[in-house]
Amino acid sequence: MSLLKIDNLHARVEEKEILKGFNLTVNAGEVHAIMGPNGAGKSTLASVLAGNSNFEVTAGSALLDSVDLLEMAPEERAREGVFLAFQYPVEIPGVSNTNFLRAALGEVRKHRGLPELDAKAFLAYIKEKKEMVELTADLAGRAVNEGFSGGEKKRNEIFQMAMLDPKLAILDETDSGLDIDALRIVANGVNKLRSKDKAFIVITHYQRLLDYIVPDFVHVLYNGRIVKSGTKELALELEEKGYDWIKAELEETAA
Amino acid sequence: MSILKETTEVLGHLLEAMPSDSLFAIREEAASFLHEKGIPSKRHEDWKYTNIKRLFDHGLTIASGEGQETRDEGIVPAPTVQFSNSSVNRNFPTIDGVTFNLFSDASELNKFIGKSGIHNKQELAALNTTLFTDALVIHVEKNAQPTQSLLIDHGVSAAESEFLNSRILIVLEDGAKLNCVHHFHGEAISDNSLVNHVTEAFIGANASLELNFLQEIGTGNLVNTTEVNVERDGRFTTNTVQLSGKLIRNNTNVRIAGQNAEAHLNGFYMIDGNDLYDNHTLVDHLVPNCQSNEVYKGLLSGKATGVFNGKVHVHRDAQKTNAYQQNKNILLSDTATMNSKPELEIYADDVKCSHGSTTGQLDEDAVFYLRSRGLSHKGAIALLLTAFASDVLEQVSDEGLRAVLEEKIQSRLFGME
Repeated sequence: MSLLKIDNLHARVEEKEILKGFNLTVNAGEVHAIMGPNGAGKSTLASVLAGNSNFEVTAGSALLDSVDLLEMAPEERAREGVFLAFQYPVEIPGVSNTNFLRAALGEVRKHRGLPELDAKAFLAYIKEKKEMVELTADLAGRAVNEGFSGGEKKRNEIFQMAMLDPKLAILDETDSGLDIDALRIVANGVNKLRSKDKAFIVITHYQRLLDYIVPDFVHVLYNGRIVKSGTKELALELEEKGYDWIKAELEETAA
Repeated sequence: MSILKETTEVLGHLLEAMPSDSLFAIREEAASFLHEKGIPSKRHEDWKYTNIKRLFDHGLTIASGEGQETRDEGIVPAPTVQFSNSSVNRNFPTIDGVTFNLFSDASELNKFIGKSGIHNKQELAALNTTLFTDALVIHVEKNAQPTQSLLIDHGVSAAESEFLNSRILIVLEDGAKLNCVHHFHGEAISDNSLVNHVTEAFIGANASLELNFLQEIGTGNLVNTTEVNVERDGRFTTNTVQLSGKLIRNNTNVRIAGQNAEAHLNGFYMIDGNDLYDNHTLVDHLVPNCQSNEVYKGLLSGKATGVFNGKVHVHRDAQKTNAYQQNKNILLSDTATMNSKPELEIYADDVKCSHGSTTGQLDEDAVFYLRSRGLSHKGAIALLLTAFASDVLEQVSDEGLRAVLEEKIQSRLFGME
């Protein structure tokens, strides 16, 4: 049984159709990279899977462990183990990281039948996960993402991912805007979380990230559909040749 | 006895209702001010959105004061003075350096009543000055700084058409400090009654007064006027939290009369249904090197109406004034209305004054972000709105009170749609 099965997914934002028959099957333990030019639908895919109501699914299905994912509210998806690392994490002035993390972890653990952590255990858990993802920023006493640099925000996403322990994590261009050191730290964090019962969908514009997070599969998303799939060598080929050869190939097939 | 809509009749009734005591001259001044101005209607700029005259038109009966004892546990564990409607319970607490009296005890301090001149400036305060039967008089002696807060528990049980006038005078000598918690509360208050409260406060040099107002009066109507005079190096803070009431109007007027003095005015309001809450502030900067800071924030839902009018008057001599004001509102429904008006009058040329006013909706991106981490829709909204209230609540120095306020706001948030 696959962890995630997306079949013929169509989605639009306002009147514009962006996903036009997207198919993908992800099994536990796998890392899938999704690459593609700007406007191909990469971020739309991430938003639709996380349940952002600005995007409307017009056809197709997505099953998480054989259960209809698209019927679930965003919080149900999170509690069932779907995690989206946002491309642009939202700054939330006034909401302290500690209160936010306590509330989020509390909900997720409750759903999974785990007992609530007391204050001491909670702080120890935070400390452990911070070390795991090499997050050095002091979170206590700061508001969620407020005043964080771009790199800190991305690292904070990976930290939250470690805290919530999802079974399916979607990284939406987590690498963009990161310098090489930050990129390595983010990738290390992800690699430490990899396991046989977790899966990752890594959405990226650049091959660079895939030197650090080595994917099992690479897919090219173009014009709302996956047009080519392969292994990590495909990413290298894309880096070298750009996307034009794929477009050309497609036009040839069409003609 | 009713106060009728015609101002000539108002005066007649007032003169009749007015207690003849040592304050007679001031009460007469107040009555003639009212005679000239009348009960403010919506044509009156200061009462444009807040229809107080409706209550007078419907007919109000001047109530003698005592209501039923509604007291259970005070909102915070603190020495308490109990108001029952407009009458003060004589059972005063004992606090070092603090003296409590009633106006009727003919205290030495009675001469301060009306000294601020508020009864010649604002109609409802004039009405109060004419009609109040007794007042609580609080004196804090020089350099006395009690560590505990003083709870002033205003238990209200106004019946149909009752008009209650309660009054407090606070005098802080030089170097004194006092933290007051005014809790206006009551169940099943008639929506045709009116509570008209006035606090006059005189803050001596290097003295510090904090007045916290928690207003939760169910279906009642409240006009709460606070008139404060701050001397050199003095500090005044007021934090107002409005949680329930059909109509609540706060008039907060601060006269900064001595150099290096500060005024901090903060408010948080949650309005729903057809209720209306109105905060009118006036900060009068008379002298140089002072600062004032105002933060008013509110959540409006249903068909609620909010009003904020913040006037800052920087007089010609008040150079190096720092005056900052902000009013932020979140509308949770399409049918709620906020009327926000900063009013800066600046006659000095070397000052820093700013104001900001925003009214908007909840940040949906933030809601989605929180939900994507497992918080429920309601939980996400409550967390965001609690955060919205936090910079007002942070100004409340009594930690126990702050915790109670946070809890009350939280439970209101979870109940709001």
